[in-house]
Amino acid sequence: MKLNIIIGGKAGQGINKVTEIVANILNKYGYFTFNYRDYQSLIQGGHNFNTLCIADFQIESHNAKADILVALDGRTIKTHKQALKKNGTIILGDQFKNEKRNLNIALAGALAKTLGIPLQELETEIKSQFKKSAKAILSAKKGYESQKTIYKLKKLKDSPLILSGSKAVAIGAKNSGLDLYIAYPMTPATNVMNELAKNQIKNNLIVFQCENEIAAANMALGASFAGAKTMTGTSGGGFDLMGEALSLQGISEIPLTIYLASRPGPGTGVPTYTAQSDLDIALRAGHGEFPRIVIAPGNPIETIEKTSEALFLAEKFRTLSIILSDKHLAESEFSSISKPAKTPAFKITRPIPGEDLVKNSSYETDKFGNSTESYTLTETNTNARMKKYNDMKKYIRKNFEMIKIHGNKKSKNLIVGWGSSSGAIKDAIKDLDTKFLQVLYCKPLSLQIKKEIEKADNVILVECNVTGQLGRLIREKTGIKIENRLLKYNGRPFHSNELKNLIEGMI
Amino acid sequence: MKNLSTQAENTWCPGCPNHMILESVKQTLTKLIESGKHKQTDFAITTDIGCHAKIFDYLNLSGIYCLHGRAIPTAIGMKLGNPNLKVLTFAGDGAAYAEGISHFIHAFKYNADMTLILHDNQSFSLTTGQPTPTSQQGYISKSAPLGVFDKPMNPIKLALASNATFIARTNARDIPHMVEIFTKAIAHKGFSFIEIIQDCLVFNINANNKDKQMYKIKDNTNKQTAEKLANEFDYNSKSGKIPLGIIYQSKEPTLEEKWPQLKTKLK
Repeated sequence: MKLNIIIGGKAGQGINKVTEIVANILNKYGYFTFNYRDYQSLIQGGHNFNTLCIADFQIESHNAKADILVALDGRTIKTHKQALKKNGTIILGDQFKNEKRNLNIALAGALAKTLGIPLQELETEIKSQFKKSAKAILSAKKGYESQKTIYKLKKLKDSPLILSGSKAVAIGAKNSGLDLYIAYPMTPATNVMNELAKNQIKNNLIVFQCENEIAAANMALGASFAGAKTMTGTSGGGFDLMGEALSLQGISEIPLTIYLASRPGPGTGVPTYTAQSDLDIALRAGHGEFPRIVIAPGNPIETIEKTSEALFLAEKFRTLSIILSDKHLAESEFSSISKPAKTPAFKITRPIPGEDLVKNSSYETDKFGNSTESYTLTETNTNARMKKYNDMKKYIRKNFEMIKIHGNKKSKNLIVGWGSSSGAIKDAIKDLDTKFLQVLYCKPLSLQIKKEIEKADNVILVECNVTGQLGRLIREKTGIKIENRLLKYNGRPFHSNELKNLIEGMI
Repeated sequence: MKNLSTQAENTWCPGCPNHMILESVKQTLTKLIESGKHKQTDFAITTDIGCHAKIFDYLNLSGIYCLHGRAIPTAIGMKLGNPNLKVLTFAGDGAAYAEGISHFIHAFKYNADMTLILHDNQSFSLTTGQPTPTSQQGYISKSAPLGVFDKPMNPIKLALASNATFIARTNARDIPHMVEIFTKAIAHKGFSFIEIIQDCLVFNINANNKDKQMYKIKDNTNKQTAEKLANEFDYNSKSGKIPLGIIYQSKEPTLEEKWPQLKTKLK
């Protein structure tokens, strides 16, 4: 069973509330959901929509075609009529005009009835969401009573939890005992900041919004130097500004973890949409040559795990860790029954100011931490940085999951992908004869990648960017060029059915 | 107690006032450490990039030799990471007034309990004398052979407008005055900003020798008086007086007091 529901309306009309109510009920009712959020860079008006996908098995993507269309306004019908399946259902917001601000609640009720969810489940959810719920329940009932049940969903055993990539970063950071998150707002990274800020007193951490990303990254280094577990986060444009601080990290070796959530560039690009186009800058930003780690989780559970790993490794190797995500992973709402692996716990044991005399510098330094221009020390220190990277590689290859293999493991067809595309790929290949190699660590790369590609007869690269950045990285590290590429770069993520058709045509 | 000096070779020009600033810092901190008020390890410094910043190598203190323009945010980060550190930031007029101007303005707003010691010689000297925001009109250098067209910025006025809680000015040739001002600045609860009027013996020598214009004022806490004092020196003309001393001091909640999470960590 898999259903795809498009819920559209103007910004401010409350499409997210409709989705939230129904998705919460469905998860409690035992179903898995995936919600894709498509919204414009404006506060009120325009056209926003969610695609809520429901299944009785784990899903991590949405489809283009809708079984149900919930339209809070007329524009939604116009825009999405083509996407509605032949016998699809339309639920019109117009019929609940009198509900005014509760239009969204009425529509949630209508949708619940269409799906065949008992009224009681709806009432429980409304009560848990609204302090003064009497009016809300009336609106929900009105919606509920207006519809016929079309899909008779039965209650299932599972109870998945809903999680976005942003929430997952916050959970991972909290699991690792984060002290400080210093940032400047930028979509789609800001939700991590908001999430951590919410309970900062309770969690004994500080979320500090500073004057710009240059300050954020340099402050983060100052705080980390002082002995705090520190993170900063931004999107591509802010990351560009942080470039100099990345380089300072390289020479000063003060631990630094950065959350980079991409959106389509160049420039301001398409700010509320998605792209996997910043792998290159994650790998290379910052002048000079110095070690770093780049990890790209593909769903919220992996994001929790990898955020903790990033913080752990930054401290252990006094290095730069980058958690690479994008709008699609950060803001889509996944539901899952899996539990994240145990967090690698750590304490700061290096010498810190206040207790010891510690000197870190943006200059090449001697053993006292003072500046040097010596050619021998310049070479020695450079070698030490490269040795550190080799140690990091060895440690990571031994201790952490750097790739995942999904699908038919014996297949001679191989999809190679990473990050937020992974969900759509996993869902697309369910009934196909292919395996999927998901790259989690982009730096260092797993040695397994070369072996897997060499074993396969037919290799297809799938990414949301125009130049195939992971493909280029693999070519650089292995000498293998992946000729077959499925690249999408219109700001929208892959739909699983779209990807399935494309892959079918290539295997 | 460890000595405040290091083994590093001093590469400032002979006779550069930076030597006297270094001596004043050492005298100030030695007194604070010997009085038992602070341990040597309680201090952390950040330095920018430029001649002034070489002080990093000459002081046996914890710290970060920062990127150009970023000594202030890095220092504020230190305070966020450990509010009990006694943080001193050294920056030049190029560093803080050009590359790092946004941080300079915001530092007053955050009001972290730390001290900014700003070496103002009205020139980017380490990079061979290009003009800075406080260079006087007409200053001719390799990068500005036609002379500086613009009027200089008045950082004291900017600091006042940015709600600074401590603004002082001192003279790099006057060690006792520097020690007095540094001591008061470190004792101030909040962000203390000290501008040191300093000669460069090699570049922008026309801006040098302003001692005759300088005079000492009494510690001031009146904002209107402060504004008057700030206007006395425009960084441009050879006439006009240059007031030295505490131009303005007030009490406002500090960064460490405003954030409950930091307040609980304060010793």
